[in-house]
This record gives sequence, structure tokens and C-alpha cells, in this order.
Amino acid sequence: MKSKIKYAVKVFAAGFIVIVLLSIPLFWLRLICQEILGENLPDEAKNIYMRPSGLVPSEIVVDHNIVQSLVSAYMNTRELPLYGIINCFKAEEPAFYYYSNNGNWSYFDKTLGLIVCAYAPRMNVDGKVTLAKAVTLYAGPDGISETAAQNLGRFVIPIVDTGNIHSASLVLTGYDRGLRCFFAINFVKRVVTKGPQLSKNDFHKPIQIGRISGISKSELLIWSPPMTEVKDTNEKGDSDRKHISDKLRPTINYTYSAGQYELVLDESGRIDLLDKETLVFAGKAGFLPAPQTLYDSKDSVTPKDLLDYDVLPVTLKTDNEYRGILAKSVLREGTSMALAVFDEKGRMIKCDYTKTQGSSGKTMESSVAFFFGSPAAPVFTITRYLLENLQPPVLSMASFITADSFSAVAGHNALFILPNSFVAMSARQVDRTITAKLFLAMIYIILPSLVLSIWLTCKVARDAAMVGLSDRARFYWKIGTILFGLTAYITYRLTRPGITLVTCENCGKLRRPDMEKCHRCGSKWHVPELTAPAWRVVD
Amino acid sequence: MLTLIKREIEDAIVLVLGAVIFTAIVITVWVSCVYRGMSVLNIGSWPTAAFIFTIICCVMGIWQMRTDRTKKISSFLLTLPVTRRRILIARIITGFLVILLVLVPVTITAFVLLQRFGPPIPLYKDFFLDIFVAAFLMSFACYCIGLHNGWSSGKVVSILGSLILTGLFLPLVIIKGIGPQALVIVSLFITALLIRTWQKFMATSL
Repeated sequence: MKSKIKYAVKVFAAGFIVIVLLSIPLFWLRLICQEILGENLPDEAKNIYMRPSGLVPSEIVVDHNIVQSLVSAYMNTRELPLYGIINCFKAEEPAFYYYSNNGNWSYFDKTLGLIVCAYAPRMNVDGKVTLAKAVTLYAGPDGISETAAQNLGRFVIPIVDTGNIHSASLVLTGYDRGLRCFFAINFVKRVVTKGPQLSKNDFHKPIQIGRISGISKSELLIWSPPMTEVKDTNEKGDSDRKHISDKLRPTINYTYSAGQYELVLDESGRIDLLDKETLVFAGKAGFLPAPQTLYDSKDSVTPKDLLDYDVLPVTLKTDNEYRGILAKSVLREGTSMALAVFDEKGRMIKCDYTKTQGSSGKTMESSVAFFFGSPAAPVFTITRYLLENLQPPVLSMASFITADSFSAVAGHNALFILPNSFVAMSARQVDRTITAKLFLAMIYIILPSLVLSIWLTCKVARDAAMVGLSDRARFYWKIGTILFGLTAYITYRLTRPGITLVTCENCGKLRRPDMEKCHRCGSKWHVPELTAPAWRVVD
Repeated sequence: MLTLIKREIEDAIVLVLGAVIFTAIVITVWVSCVYRGMSVLNIGSWPTAAFIFTIICCVMGIWQMRTDRTKKISSFLLTLPVTRRRILIARIITGFLVILLVLVPVTITAFVLLQRFGPPIPLYKDFFLDIFVAAFLMSFACYCIGLHNGWSSGKVVSILGSLILTGLFLPLVIIKGIGPQALVIVSLFITALLIRTWQKFMATSL
């Protein structure tokens, strides 16, 4: 019994070592395929341009001498390899509200339940602006003070405008998930404003405020205002040589802000406007558009479903009125992007998706072009498909079942369950029943994995019978190899009994010398009968 | 047990001294960088130092097991009133102490520098603690790989195999980061390696 437990422990320990050490190179190989596929994707399939954007009043746009406004968005496929380690560092970031080199900083102190801010106030002494001694302020939902007093109240899970992290703003707008209310803190005026508590029936679950962006936090979404062509003549020293160049100048000034509002991203993917003064919702601003997928997927997406997203509000300085938002979403697998423009009332004006011209001249969605667009793409797609099939079938099935459970960003550093694999992609399609999806996954997607598992199971069963494992042990090994495929096979090779076999006198096959009976024919050892000799040694 | 640990340290004195020198170099470079005006939070050169240290840990594991095998230390010790279990525990404790000998002074230096030159935000201290735990677990896992493979009979297999497996394993921290998920995987990996080493060491004839 003790040896059986020892053997089981040995197998599980070896199995875990094998699955970890096998998963890591498989991860890198899959990533290399993904990177090459991303590189091969034509540039036009990574960009979306919309001209005119639709956010500018029509009286400006109709002027024929004006180059109309433009929205451009770019899908970055090169940032993926560092997601795991970057996430750890970025996860720390929301905890800081800002930290600047001049000694100003602000963060949420979990133990105190207060937002702590240190800054040096500016003072005007005899017409000169100087910095006073730094003060540390503690802000709670009910007030602000220089000590962490109880009457300040306590925040539970606050989220604030993350756009302020590097801008060292001393005004923070936020939402507390525990208290279910918005708040605004002005550290200079030492005022905390608390909005009304959201009712229990309210569907809103804000997850981001102000600058709404996903993991990349990069400037890959740009709005250009209408431009007018200006002929500019420059004289440089020599009066005979005149350089004449055409220049484009913006006809209107704008800011990437929502004017009197703040943008609030909801867990459902909806984007709302929050009135900065009253701290109550002022209407819908739009929603995150759903990118096109390889298989037909659901029409609405949540931030969790997206690898990256970015939302930019636009306010024209001509009337200082909020004009609308631009929203960009990148698909979980990083293969396609959607860009939508919403007006000031939250109505979608335009929406476009990444696409390219195929070799036959037909327009091809980037989610398809990524895998089959370029001449070399099918080779790397098939390689990636086969690499995914080296994963244990049980984990492939787990990827199928949990296709929507993991966030898109976490899926990019997955080692065991692969939410971005082909099997998970097929599980996310909406136009089939669960039975049809399962059948499709079994037949087309994890078939190589199943075939490999069955072949390895046969090998393990044959070898286990040869080395004399018990019927029960053989049964467990067969089940284990079918479920875990290559991992189980390597584990078996590492843990199989290393005994030199001898030939059985009865059946002629190899048998184990440490067992009483031959494990093939069941015959005992042939022991010659010990008969006492007739002779005796006498004195 | 203390005598066994002392003996293990004496056997691996070169590596212990190497670890002390490595610690001194890391601390000196860091402190001088901070005094020359660089930010205490500048961690650009950490990955290289961490990579070198994990390789040292792996080599230490191989060294201990290879020395035992070639010099028949266990065979000799078993003639005395000592069990194999105690020999292996003493060996693992020695490895554990050498890793702490490097990581603890570096972490203390980090805390002192942070206290003196860094912003007074407790979040950084928590972050440094996370890095310390992750670095310790990764180093110990590499040491266990060395222990596990060092007991193999072939010299080339044990050295090359360990270094290849370390090279395969180290990128785990790039893939998964230093979050709880990664730490659970590394902890289980260490447990599995120790079980395998234990069973191998106990069962092999000396």
C-alpha cells in the first residue's frame, strides 16, 4: 500500500514538472507564430481611417477648400510578448493616483481607507511664486484633513481618473464601488464633494472614469480637425531663393476632454457621461464597439472581452461644447479592431472595422486575413494549430468550456488553459448550438490532439503490459494518457519501473524478476525441489 | 543537524563565498548609483542580476549533488549515525540559507535606500516585498532543478540538463509576472521537484 502511494506521488510530481516545462516552450512557439502572423498582416489591415469624422458641425465641413476631419486608429500587434510581467507593474499603477518628481504624490492607502496626498502649495510672496513646505492631506468621502481623523469617513474600493497619474492633478474625480457613489476631491481648496448614492436597482457598475483606455495606454487613436491649405512663403538669407511650401493648418481648436462631463466606462461596455458639478449621470456617451471575429461572435462586448480599448472625447474650443467620442476596441486575439464615432447624444455616427484587399481583389476582414491573408500565413496558422494540439486534450476542453471566463489580457499569458486558442474561439461563436459547437471543436479543432492521445495511449498500454504494471495501474495510465496526451506519455516514460526483464521459462516472453508470478502467463518460478543428499559427512 | 549543515557549507564554500561577493557587488553598484543621483526605483539592471543569481543557484544544486556522488560523501556519512533523510534536509537547508544570504541583504538595502531617498509611499515597500518573494521562489526553484538533475549519473546530462531546464523555466516570470498565480505555480513546481529529488536520493544505491 505504501509503495502504491509512493508511486502515485512520484507520478503526480513528475507530471506537474513535465506539464510546466512543456507548457513554457509551447507558449513561446505559439507566440512566435502569432508574432509572425501579426507581422505578415498588411498595414492597411491594422489601421482604420475615417474621413470626415462626423464630429464637426456641417457648416465647416461643406467648405471645399478644407481637408475634412479625420479619425485614425492603429492596432498594435507587437506589444504582446511582455504582457505577463508588464501586467504586474501596471497592476501597481492604479494604486497611485499620481507621483511626480517634484515630490508631489497621491495614492489610496488601503489600511486607512483614505486617499493620501502630499504636495507643496504655491505661495505668492512679494510678486514671486514660491513653493511652501509640503503638506500631507488625508481625504475621505466626508472631508479632507491633515490628519487621518475618523470623521473623514472611509473609502472602500475607490477608482479615480487614471489619466491623472502622470499629470499630477490635484483634483480627482472618482467612484467608490463599496459606497456606490461618485466623489470629487480638490486638494488645493480642501473640499470633497460626494454625489448621491446609486440605488440598488441601478444597473451601472463603473470600472473606469475620465481617461478610458485598456492596457496599451498609448496614443493609437487620433482625431485631426478639419485643415485648411495655407501657402507659406519663407525667405532664407538669399533673396533669390524662395521656398514655397504647402502647409495644412487646423481650422478649429479642440481638446480631448468631455467639457463639463467626465466619461465613465461601465462593466457592460457602455460609456456614460457624468456631470462634474452634480456628480450624477448625464446620459449615454456610447459603447465599446465589437470587432469582427474569425467565427461569428456576439455583437456586444465588455472591457473584459477586449485585448485593448481606447476612448477619446472631443470638445471644440469654438463653442466649448462636448461633441462626442471616438471608441476603439481590439479583439481578444489581437487580430481585428473596430472604431466607432458617437455624437454628443451617444448615437453612433460611424463604425468601421479593420479589413484588407485579398489577392482576388475581394475585401477580407482582418480577423480572417490574419490567419489566411498573406502567402505564408496558412503555414504559421497550421503550425499554431498543431502546437495548440500538443496541449493536453483535457485542457483544450477546459479552454472550450471557459472560453469567456478569462479576461482577454489574462488570456495572452495563459500557459495551461488557452482562452485565445482556436478551440476557445469556436466556443465563442453565437450562431450555433452548444452541441454543434462541441461537435465542431471535437471533429475539426482538437482532433489531432485526440488522435495523438489515442496513439500514445496504445503505446503506454503496450509498454505497461510488458513491464508488468497491474491491471488497475494500466487502466489509470490509459485514462491519464487519453486526458493528458503528450504530457502523460512523457511522465510515463520518466516514471516507468526501470527493471531488467528476464525470459519466462513457461511462455518465453519477458517477465519481471521481482514478481512471484509471470505477469504474462501467471506461471511461478521454476524452483528445483531441494532433496537432501543421501550421503553424509561422518567423522 | 548543525554539524551536517556546517559540513555542507564547508563543501560548497566556493559557492558561498561567490554568493557573498555577488551580494557585495550588487549592493555596492546600487548604492553608488543612488548616490550618483539615479532613482532608487530604477530597476533596469535588476533582470540581469536576477538571471545571473538564478544560474548560480542552479549550479549550487548541481555542485552539491555531484560532489556527493563523486566523493561518496553520503556513503561515508552513512557509516556514522546519520540517516539519508538528515543528509538531504541539511543540504536543502544550506541551499536555502545561501539564497537568503544574497536576497536578505539586497532587500534590506532596498528598504533602507527607499526610506532615505524614495517617496514615503508604503506601496513601494509592498512592491519590493513582492519582488523579494518572487526572486526567492524563482532562485529556490532553480536550486531544486540543480539538486534534482545533479544526482544523475552522467556529468554532461546533469550539468547541461539542469541549465537547459533552468533556461526553460526562468521565462515563466516573464510570461506570468510575479503575481499570486505565478507564485502558486512556482511553489507547486518546487514541491514537485523536492519530492522527486527526495525519492531519487532515498532510493538510489550509494
